[in-house]
Amino acid sequence: MTGVSAAEPRAPASTAAAAEAGGAAPRALRNRRRWLRPTLLVLPAVIPVAFVVIGGVGTTLLQSLGLMPLVGAAELSTAAFDDTDELLTSALLSLSIAVVSTAIAAVVGFFTAVLIISGNVGGRIVGALGAAAVTVPHLVGAATVGLLLSDSGVLARIFGVSPEAWPALVAGPTWFAVIAEYAWKESAFVALIIVGTLATRITSYDETAAVLGAHRSARLRLVLFPLAAPSLLVASAIAFAYTLGSYEVAWMLGQTYPEPLSVMALRLFNSASLTARPEAAAIGVITVALTAAVIAVAMLGLRRMRAWR
Amino acid sequence: MHTWSFSRRTTPPNATTPRRRALSVLATTAVTALALTACSAPTTTPSGPEFFDWSDVQVAADGQTVKLWMWGGDDQGNAYVDDVLAPAAAAQGVTLERVPIADTKDALNRVFTELQAGRNDDGAVDLVWINGDNFRTGKQADAWFCDWTGLLPNMSLVSDSDPLLTEDFGTPVDGCEAPWHKAQFSFVYNSATVENPPTTIDGILDWAEANPGRFTYPAAPDFTGSAFLRSVLYSESGGYENVPSTYSDEAFDELTPALLDRLEALAPSLWREGSTYPATSEQLTKLFADGEIDMMMTYGPATLTALVENGTLPDTTRVLTVDDGTLGNASFFGIPSNSGNIAGAMVVANEALSVEQQVAKADPAVWGQFTVLDLDALSAADRELFDALPQSPVVPSFDILSRNASPELSAEWVPAIDEAWRTRIAAGQ
Repeated sequence: MTGVSAAEPRAPASTAAAAEAGGAAPRALRNRRRWLRPTLLVLPAVIPVAFVVIGGVGTTLLQSLGLMPLVGAAELSTAAFDDTDELLTSALLSLSIAVVSTAIAAVVGFFTAVLIISGNVGGRIVGALGAAAVTVPHLVGAATVGLLLSDSGVLARIFGVSPEAWPALVAGPTWFAVIAEYAWKESAFVALIIVGTLATRITSYDETAAVLGAHRSARLRLVLFPLAAPSLLVASAIAFAYTLGSYEVAWMLGQTYPEPLSVMALRLFNSASLTARPEAAAIGVITVALTAAVIAVAMLGLRRMRAWR
Repeated sequence: MHTWSFSRRTTPPNATTPRRRALSVLATTAVTALALTACSAPTTTPSGPEFFDWSDVQVAADGQTVKLWMWGGDDQGNAYVDDVLAPAAAAQGVTLERVPIADTKDALNRVFTELQAGRNDDGAVDLVWINGDNFRTGKQADAWFCDWTGLLPNMSLVSDSDPLLTEDFGTPVDGCEAPWHKAQFSFVYNSATVENPPTTIDGILDWAEANPGRFTYPAAPDFTGSAFLRSVLYSESGGYENVPSTYSDEAFDELTPALLDRLEALAPSLWREGSTYPATSEQLTKLFADGEIDMMMTYGPATLTALVENGTLPDTTRVLTVDDGTLGNASFFGIPSNSGNIAGAMVVANEALSVEQQVAKADPAVWGQFTVLDLDALSAADRELFDALPQSPVVPSFDILSRNASPELSAEWVPAIDEAWRTRIAAGQ
């Protein structure tokens, strides 16, 4: 977006200058060409993104403000945002699930990456398992975790525990199964992203540090972690945004009440009453705002990182 | 949002800086979006093609491909459509394609979104398996093609005074959907663990309190859970006669407190002490299949025979016939107003109403769905076909199951009760 808007205003100004002072024409033209190329190159990426972001988020915003009703006249209203108590509970629940599962995924993902980078047999097995875990859709993952952890699930049967005695991991008050599913899937994602960054740079730095006498823990703290930190942050931000926005895992493995924002939005969107659509859109807007805020903080953090600069 | 964009647009054009430029791009987008939405809410009822008689429909239908959007979670239903209904439609020159969906609302939402976007005559949905609040919502939004069922020759086999078929959850059908089959809400128990099954809905709740942790119901707005709430509302109100079928705030305020009090008192005796509820009827069935609960409920008893046969449910599974009767409804075929294959969809709906199709579908080995045809009006030979159907060892026949059946409440009651349950019972743990 910025690429386009920054490029366009300059072009008319420089052509005007060229028309006035004929001698400067070749330079102005070159100047213009210099802007044209990157603009054209970036357009295939910018257009679909803008289409989705402006079109999708814009439509959601219009619906949430009552400007896009299914029936009746459009009327500007913030009524869809009114149920603050329930929205607040849901937002806090969504944030808690996303924060906890992303934190676990970041820690597990980082150490998994270190293990994979180490290059021994165990690392290669973990790498293959991680790559396999990334390809499993979350819906399938949720069904699997449900079968594994539920009252009369596989684990309960293996250990011979009766359904009454088994802890309420699925649909329980701790949201254990939901967090476990996200943490498992996203840790594999985080690990693969970090491996991608580290694989090319790590050997020389690590060997240098080892030659200089750095022990394992020191190398982990002073070499591996700073090198991995930017991709760890980016991967965590993506995992967080995904966890906050997706509904299927929380819907399948979560409690009936309270609902995370995404589940509530889906329930309202599918509700039989036509007036519920603006409310669903309002929850969508809130989710987007929360995600954007977290991504913004992550991007600010990224700019401060030495390895990134 | 939009006042902000208009004020930005008045900025003089020569003051363009990159930032201003970006703002004006945003403003233009917002204005365009507003202009687009202005024409999205339909001002006139969308109407489809006009047909003079059935042969007219048949000519138009020849060669059309009809996409039937239906809940894909019932293997027997899927097999019936693919193996029995689709070949019959093909014989009429219509290709029938089944589009499996997770929830009927997905089809409705697709139609709404297309209509909002101005796609008025070649929508992705040609036919929907539908009833109740989904039908009503679509009718409110003028999303259905209407006044077409009168043209179907096989509608003559259907009684025109059957309240289950002239009204769908209190919403007049008005020729906007063609009947497909009937269903009866049923309670199901394991005869190995429940020795003296209760005989009334109130008795079921008493049984649940006497056997803590062995009973639960799906969380509203799940279709089955929602039907359970209405059943208890009837029971607590002393019968369906005491609940006005048309929704009013007064009736709601007068009748629902007893329902909610009863369910609140019941909650500690439920599975997991009522701290959570199964999200869907499939999860409820799984709890029953795993032996975690001894009693469950379903609005589709047709599926039980096969579930017992394939070992999912125990052999000792039985349907409980309650003296005070249970809810009954019919499900239908609706044609979205923006379908491009309306004639083909009508041919499929007509074929589905034929004696041959209704008999095949009523066979428990095929699907076991109860017929919508008026058996008394059929010829002796056709009646014989229905009488000759094998009986299911699990599910009683429709005349037994539907004894004292209660009618469904108007669709407006459904979200009101669901929401009251959610805010008080689900939130009250």
